[in-house]
Amino acid sequence: MTIGERNPEPHNPLGMDGIEFIEYATSQPQAFGALLQKMGFAAVARHRSREVMLYRQGTMNLIVNSHGTPDATPAVSALALRVRDAAYAHKHALELGAWDMPTRAAAMELNIPGIHGVGDSLIYFVDRYGDFSIYDVDFVPLAGLDAHPPALAGLHYFGVVQSIMSERTRDWVDFYRHLFDFSVLPRGQYFGVLPKGTLLESACHKFYLQLVEPPEGAEDVHWEEGLARIGLGAPDVPAAVRALKERGIVFIDHGAVQPSDKGALTQFYLGGVTFELVVSHLNA
Amino acid sequence: MNLERFGMDTTTLAGPLEAKLRAVKAAGFTQIMLNSSDIVGHPEGEEAALAAVRASGLRATGFQVLRDFEGLSGHLHAYKVDVAKAMLQMCNALGSNILLACSSTSAHASGERELLARDLQKLATLAVPLNIRIAFEALSWGRYVSEFTQAWELVQEADRANLGVCLDSYHIIATRTELDGLQELDPHKVFLVQLSDFLWQELRSPEDRIDTARHYRVFPGEGVHSTELGELVRQIDEMGYRGDYSFEVFNDDYRNLPLPMVCERAKRSVKWVSDLVSRRSLPPRRTGTLRT
Repeated sequence: MTIGERNPEPHNPLGMDGIEFIEYATSQPQAFGALLQKMGFAAVARHRSREVMLYRQGTMNLIVNSHGTPDATPAVSALALRVRDAAYAHKHALELGAWDMPTRAAAMELNIPGIHGVGDSLIYFVDRYGDFSIYDVDFVPLAGLDAHPPALAGLHYFGVVQSIMSERTRDWVDFYRHLFDFSVLPRGQYFGVLPKGTLLESACHKFYLQLVEPPEGAEDVHWEEGLARIGLGAPDVPAAVRALKERGIVFIDHGAVQPSDKGALTQFYLGGVTFELVVSHLNA
Repeated sequence: MNLERFGMDTTTLAGPLEAKLRAVKAAGFTQIMLNSSDIVGHPEGEEAALAAVRASGLRATGFQVLRDFEGLSGHLHAYKVDVAKAMLQMCNALGSNILLACSSTSAHASGERELLARDLQKLATLAVPLNIRIAFEALSWGRYVSEFTQAWELVQEADRANLGVCLDSYHIIATRTELDGLQELDPHKVFLVQLSDFLWQELRSPEDRIDTARHYRVFPGEGVHSTELGELVRQIDEMGYRGDYSFEVFNDDYRNLPLPMVCERAKRSVKWVSDLVSRRSLPPRRTGTLRT
């Protein structure tokens, strides 16, 4: 599926330029690390002073934060946005009504500004992603390993799925539209195998947010607001599924959710973490 | 309309929070409008107040009240943002989805519409992560916004999903605002309706309005504006409003009466309002004087 007309063309005053990293929090860093390695990520660096690891594959940086994290099930705890000027982006967001990040809650010691996102998650602003990266300050590279492992089957960040409460879509659309200039894709335009909710496209056209309200008739299902899972883009989903299966990843294969050319969903690991594959036109 | 759509307001009742919650629950109400002083003024602290509300089983109609927020600049704005954030956090801790914000009365506030709308947008954005809707109410002595029509215009200009209006019958009757303006409202953007009447025919000055609003309101059906109040409720119902009705009755006498007695008066008022709406085609009953 390709992106149709974007109307109106969103502007990009923050100079947003994609996802710099995604952070998970878990008190089981080793078990989660093993899962990430099956997903094609490799540990490349260790935080200087905290129980925080940096994983990487291709263009994707993924941080696993176990510093004082009580919950075992890995949960997406932060999204770091590349922007032109992090201090400006932070100030701009606060002026518009964002909540400043709590002090000392960050995985990094480097002063990366951030704000509260959905649930307990944070949104960081990063402007050092060229020759000098934020990881150079806080992390020590693991000796003897490739610091830039290639992506498996061209995997790259595609988007983040956010669960929200009933009748909250418009509230969150306002939030992302006004703070970050996200735009809503027309109804019916979906990617992947889980065509639900509302899709928002970033101002840089490099990733998506999917807002999902609880399904009707699911009043008894425990549902809370938060970042539910990440979507990994793949130019060829069946090829990516084959490569991941070879590494031991199991995909959900029943009912409406089956691996296809459009996408696939891994089983739920470690009490609730899953990864979605989506056929992607985005550049890895 | 059934009792479930009506709530009492803690400001109507005397005594400790727990006694108010018990009395309101015992009278059969399922919801109650809470005030920040209920929480921060609790002798055993905020946590005890929150626990009491949770234990009561009553739903929070909303949380009140953020005052004088919009139109300020510089350090005054920053100060009010801090106040708003604290109010939002308390509102969230109570499990309330509505924060009531009243139009500014501040002599330091600007009346520049763009600034007023921008401040309401900011308040709405602050409220999004906490799952709170902002109900903006025109105080009849508001500096730039004193009628519901003006509040609605500003809400439309700000254009945020979680920003709507609160209609308060007291202020609408006090300013003698034409009800035609209700036709312009989107019923889904009316987040709360507060009902009360009062005992004098006219409120000539803003000072009169303030004094009466804070000390001499009565339940609907007990005051002298039953015709106007009845017409207001009928129109609100007919336009499709299906949210809550909260009795915002500030009354010094009621704060000197036993709680069950005040709750009973509130229940009589529920019947009065319900009968009005169910007998839409009939003219409203004139009560004229305070019933005993």
